[in-house]
Amino acid sequence: MNSSPPRVLIIEDEQTIVEFLRVGLAYEGFQVEIARDGWSGLRLFNGQEFDLVVLDLMLPDLDGLEICKRLRSVNADVAIILLTARREIPDRIAGLNLGADDYVTKPFSFEELLARIRAVLRRRGRPQEQPVVAAAGIVLNSATHEVHKNGEPIDLTPKEFALLELFMRHPRRVFTRETLLNRIWGFDFAGDTNVVDVHVHHLREKIGDRAKRLIRTNYGLGYSFRPDDDESLA
Amino acid sequence: MAWDIAFDPMMMSRWRKSSLRTRLTILYVALLVLLLTGLGALLYWDVKAFLISSTAVRLRAQAKPVIERWLMDVQAGEAATQFLLSIAASLARDLTSRDTTALILDHNGAVLANGRLLPEEPLPAPVDPERVARALAGENEITYSVMVGDQHTMVLLIPLRPQPGHPYIVGVAQLNTPLTAVDQILWREQRLIIFGSVLTILLGMAGSFWLTSSALRPLRRMTDACRRIAAGDFSERVNLPPRHSGQTRDEVVQLASAFNDMITRIEDTFASQQRFIADAAHELRTPLTAIKGSLEVLLRGSQDDPTNAKRLTRAMYNEVERLSRLTEQLLDLTQLQNGIILHRSLIDLERWLQEEFMPQAHLLVKESHLELRPGEPAKLYVDPDALKQVLFNLIDNAVQHTSTSGNIQLGWQVTATAVSIWVADDGEGIAPADLPHIFSPFYRGDRSRSRLRGGAGLGLTIVKRIVEAHGGQVRVASTPGEGTCVTLLFPVNPVLSGV
Repeated sequence: MNSSPPRVLIIEDEQTIVEFLRVGLAYEGFQVEIARDGWSGLRLFNGQEFDLVVLDLMLPDLDGLEICKRLRSVNADVAIILLTARREIPDRIAGLNLGADDYVTKPFSFEELLARIRAVLRRRGRPQEQPVVAAAGIVLNSATHEVHKNGEPIDLTPKEFALLELFMRHPRRVFTRETLLNRIWGFDFAGDTNVVDVHVHHLREKIGDRAKRLIRTNYGLGYSFRPDDDESLA
Repeated sequence: MAWDIAFDPMMMSRWRKSSLRTRLTILYVALLVLLLTGLGALLYWDVKAFLISSTAVRLRAQAKPVIERWLMDVQAGEAATQFLLSIAASLARDLTSRDTTALILDHNGAVLANGRLLPEEPLPAPVDPERVARALAGENEITYSVMVGDQHTMVLLIPLRPQPGHPYIVGVAQLNTPLTAVDQILWREQRLIIFGSVLTILLGMAGSFWLTSSALRPLRRMTDACRRIAAGDFSERVNLPPRHSGQTRDEVVQLASAFNDMITRIEDTFASQQRFIADAAHELRTPLTAIKGSLEVLLRGSQDDPTNAKRLTRAMYNEVERLSRLTEQLLDLTQLQNGIILHRSLIDLERWLQEEFMPQAHLLVKESHLELRPGEPAKLYVDPDALKQVLFNLIDNAVQHTSTSGNIQLGWQVTATAVSIWVADDGEGIAPADLPHIFSPFYRGDRSRSRLRGGAGLGLTIVKRIVEAHGGQVRVASTPGEGTCVTLLFPVNPVLSGV
């Protein structure tokens, strides 16, 4: 958590796609810059340090492949993900040959893009989420799926683990029940938000938070993780 | 028999079910049989009549001098009868030969003498009293044939007169000659005709079968090609014989050639339809990506921040707008492709533009100026709704490609042959490289810019289709940086427009 968040440059001309990429990636903890055409993309890239570029192949001014080549020639370490339309298969191959790390095909899902971004960053050894998060005496390791409280292992179900990880990675952020349901149970989960309450209740029991000090209930809003407030109790 | 078969309903249905080749062959052979039978019969009867009459003529010619010599000195009356009685045996013998036996009959029809002495001489036919009576009454040319035993025999009756042409008739000479030779000739003739006919019919059958087969072969190929095309292979064609110069193609080859042309056309249409669908799907992809991604981002938690939620919702709304515009245009285009039904009426162009079109157009053009530049009075026989759609599309395009301070002009010109309506703007213009493609569906010169304002690249395609359905043309002149002028040429119908 101490390292700076990964910096992402999005070069895309479609207003709405830019909009959701920016909001979505920022929410996921990335630092996002936007370029609406090829030239401004290259200018931004030359001026700043980026870990990752999301590049649309179809831009009004410059050929996406040309941009890809230039980006790669300037910076051999940056991760590049291409956004393509399905019919441009030769473009995808050319793009990969020109140094892109991966591509997603429109229409793509945000989760898929996110997964690929994380995978590419991992491969490139770029800054990303640390596997280990620690707060209020709880140590969570997402690589080994282990949780310790004051050195004692705690046994969590996968859903409880995901909940705890989300809370610990975003301390103080208030998550509504809908958001928790969407992120952990998936968009297509048919059940109601009570399941979130039940899991939060179990999680509190397991991490010894019966007082609801660590995982707070924000009435009318949702839940948030408050390790700083808890330190006085520890 | 043949008629019974023809009217048998079973046979009729089987006839209708049989192949064209079978039917043609059967018809051809039937015709051949009819023709050959008729001709053969005719020939047979003709030869028979000739042979019989020539035999009769020969016998009469041989008998005539003998009879004249014997009856030279006879006098009419009772003496003649006596005389005939005295010479009858000798006369009969003189008239008899290897192939002819003579009987001499008196004026009562009684046999006076039989010339047959030797066994090889033919047997005489029995006397036919009725015919003898006719001969005695003066009939000269009585010839008939009867069966004597198993022998076909020709009988000639010759009245005996004192001199040729004399009215008095003493008696009758009956010459009997067997028709053995004639029958033999006729039998041979018959065989020849039958054999020849059968051979000809067989050859004709084979020939007609081959002929119809070869004539119908392209049809068969066409059937095969049709089946393969039905199975989805549009590259299929009927093989045509190579065309030599000056050689006319028969009807079936012409049909096959027309069929190939048709398939080429269908293939083109099909390919362009597929391209169109692929393009349409491609167009749907971007808004769908945007909406899907936005929804995901919202559901993942951004909805908890009202600012983000509002931004993304608004963006999604715009995308949905875009999708419905695109769908609308696709529907329009599909209707145009299905064949346009124009509801034409005669409009006064200036009045229609002033009263009908401009008020609505001004709702659309808020930022840019839209100016009407009237030309000479003109009447047009067009579908007003279609014309409205065309002009809206053009003005919409002009709006998209001009700056907010840009100018759009709408005007018309009248010439002897056409009324040309033009829409001009002072916008960014069209790059020369893009000009040839602007009427293609989904083509956008400057992709992102026009997409931002919502065009799907179908507007000009729709314009062109509608104007061409009116028999008109669309022309585009454009200079990058200076502006674009689209001209619609509607041919003038002198009767209807009254110009």
